[in-house]
Amino acid sequence: MSSEAAFTLDPALDGELLCYCTRLTFGALRRACAAGAWPPPGYERTGKLCTGCQGDLLVCLRALGVRAPA
Amino acid sequence: MSSDLDALMSATFHEAGYAHLVELVHQQDPGARRRLAAVRVDAYDAAGVRRVAAELDPAQEILDLDALAGAAARAHGRLLVVFDSRYDARVFPYRPHHYAYLHRRDAPGPPLYYAVNATLGGVPDRIGAVALNNFESYLFLERAGSERYALALGNLSRFAAAEAEVITYYDGARHVAPLRLPPKHHAEVALASERDGARLRRVELKALFRLTSYVVGRRAAAGELVLFDHLFTYFK
Repeated sequence: MSSEAAFTLDPALDGELLCYCTRLTFGALRRACAAGAWPPPGYERTGKLCTGCQGDLLVCLRALGVRAPA
Repeated sequence: MSSDLDALMSATFHEAGYAHLVELVHQQDPGARRRLAAVRVDAYDAAGVRRVAAELDPAQEILDLDALAGAAARAHGRLLVVFDSRYDARVFPYRPHHYAYLHRRDAPGPPLYYAVNATLGGVPDRIGAVALNNFESYLFLERAGSERYALALGNLSRFAAAEAEVITYYDGARHVAPLRLPPKHHAEVALASERDGARLRRVELKALFRLTSYVVGRRAAAGELVLFDHLFTYFK
């Protein structure tokens, strides 16, 4: 998996689904990251069920400033 | 499209010259005509350019995919066709399935029937599927056939390129082919039917996240599809 350089998450996508299993939207992801509260309750398994959104989730988390723990 | 309903994103491939009918809801019975809440179809060429976009009437039972996408397939080659569906979990406590009929118009052989590959969603925890589904396998017949085999792969991501490995087994020998698919790109990866005199026994697909994937068999002489099937998750 790789992402584009200088990627920004378009707010126009906020109502769209990122995860088709947990029904997390891009907007909910943005709000959780802005609040320093990723993952929000009930969305802990985002990206881990069907795995289809995992690549996009990692791209978005990186763009929204969430880093993996050292 | 609503994010308050359950969601499923399934995908298939369409080529020019094929009759291709998709049953939008396979789980029908006389007592319960189940419907999706919404369904949208988009189709992309191999370079990820969208060539078809349509909102369907969710009451529609059968989609004539060639009527919708045949002209685009003739102009742009094989298409990755994506079904983005919303449904009420009370109507589909398991999940909906799309099911399809596929037959090359000039071919004398029988048609193929297949389950459209559910790529995103389907809430695997709810349906009791516990195995990861981004590592998949397919076993080939013991008998030698005259078909040419391939994996048809598509990346449904919006942003993430997929780094995948197609691993083939020839009796004891293993061969690894790396593959990179940018978002909405797709490819048909040929699988040699023999290497060093050993027959193709198995193929595995490994990726960080789930891709749309089908095993494809084509009649060697005429090239029409004689196998179009999803992979399985038996080996971990």
